[in-house]
Amino acid sequence: MMSIPWKYWSENMSKIIKPGAGIIYMKVGTHAQETLDDIISRKTKEIEQTGFAFWGYGGGTCHPETMVQPFAKDYAERGQTIYLCMQEMESKHFAYPVRADEYSIDGIRWETIPATINVLGSRYALAIKDLQKEDLELPLDATKVALGNSIGAIGSNYIRGKVDKACLEVGVESAEGESHSGGTEKILHIGLVAKVVPPYAVYVRNSVK
Amino acid sequence: MAAYHEIDLRAAVNAISDVIQNRPRPIRIFDQIYMKAGDMVLQSEFVARWADGKKLAFIGDGDSISVCVAYLKARGIVNYGPTEIVLFDFDERICNAVERFADSERLEGLKARLYNCLDAFPEVGCFDYSYTNPPWGASNGGESVCVFVQRGMEATGYRGEALVVIADDDVLPWPKQVLARVQKFAIESGYFVQKMMPKMHAYHLDDAPELRSCNLMFKATPESVTPVGSSAIIDPNRLANFYGRGAGPRVRYIREKRRLEYGKAHDDEYSLEILE
Repeated sequence: MMSIPWKYWSENMSKIIKPGAGIIYMKVGTHAQETLDDIISRKTKEIEQTGFAFWGYGGGTCHPETMVQPFAKDYAERGQTIYLCMQEMESKHFAYPVRADEYSIDGIRWETIPATINVLGSRYALAIKDLQKEDLELPLDATKVALGNSIGAIGSNYIRGKVDKACLEVGVESAEGESHSGGTEKILHIGLVAKVVPPYAVYVRNSVK
Repeated sequence: MAAYHEIDLRAAVNAISDVIQNRPRPIRIFDQIYMKAGDMVLQSEFVARWADGKKLAFIGDGDSISVCVAYLKARGIVNYGPTEIVLFDFDERICNAVERFADSERLEGLKARLYNCLDAFPEVGCFDYSYTNPPWGASNGGESVCVFVQRGMEATGYRGEALVVIADDDVLPWPKQVLARVQKFAIESGYFVQKMMPKMHAYHLDDAPELRSCNLMFKATPESVTPVGSSAIIDPNRLANFYGRGAGPRVRYIREKRRLEYGKAHDDEYSLEILE
């Protein structure tokens, strides 16, 4: 175990953020000129109507094919679900709210996004349900990057600067051993969570017409 | 061999800028991750010096170091470099970009061939040196690196030298494991490690922005035995997780969609609002 003592887990452990859990950490805020509250109410309605929603995002740290899909499948094979754990932040995301009308699991075969789901201003999307507000603590020092080019890096060393999302394993021994930058434990507040469900993550696009 | 002189840095940076302007945009799923411009300048000058007077094969080259090396010499920014450079890449966009640039700048001796490294290598023993900056093998223990290195060795008929650009990091364990695996593979193939230049290059890599790569250089031992021919790689153990966990090879070629005004803004990116 790393620098987070067991006492911490016994006092603060939730059913989501606990040793051995897999989570997708993401900072969220205004996206494509839409406030977070508006996004939450829209996504909640999409889940009610469709059974799931696509949660749009971008960036290679949670690439659908090379990161999220293999990460989620690993946990699914063990009978576990991964959760999207979101930390609210101030942002001014200026992307245009262009609606994606197609999605693809593999970037080759494309399908129409249901009319009840709107993914705006994004290249990728997570498939989610059970979106709910929570009040959880995520000790980043006790997480490690689960796969990809930074596999084994401590979460608190990895999440900084432009890196604002990651596939993380919680409460397991890090390949970086006990070392982490800063010297102080970095506890993040998670205010919004959702279950990540098959197909876990997809590419999205707006077809040129 | 040419005498080396100090290079005009401004001219070199502007030359690399011309090459970058010509490059297609990277496709992340195939590990097309581009080296940062300053490091491209230094790397290109180094490769030109290393492969001076040689026939050089590039086994994949999204970065366009092949073009930079040829261009620096053609523009007189360096007075040394390979006599011939051939790029082998499975991305038709990259091959066509090289051919277009070579044609427009009259770069004699720079050519590109559409080739997937899983197929038998088509020009065994035709080159003196090889260069590759392959998928770095974080998810397959470096096997993807070994495949590209093998093609480079075949290109030179298991003679000459090979330069491999791969991940190098003090903290993460997988780059060390891959470096060890690739060196073992090279030694078993009749080469020895001639030089390693650690943490030389930075990349536009959003999931590991601090990760660097090194130059790992191999030279064939004098008694190196030349294997005959080249064959396709079909062993599933070598193909698993080739482009990352769960991402095996499934594409033979990336084909270019034909466009007019290559390298300029595409007309589906904008519309015009006319003055009243």
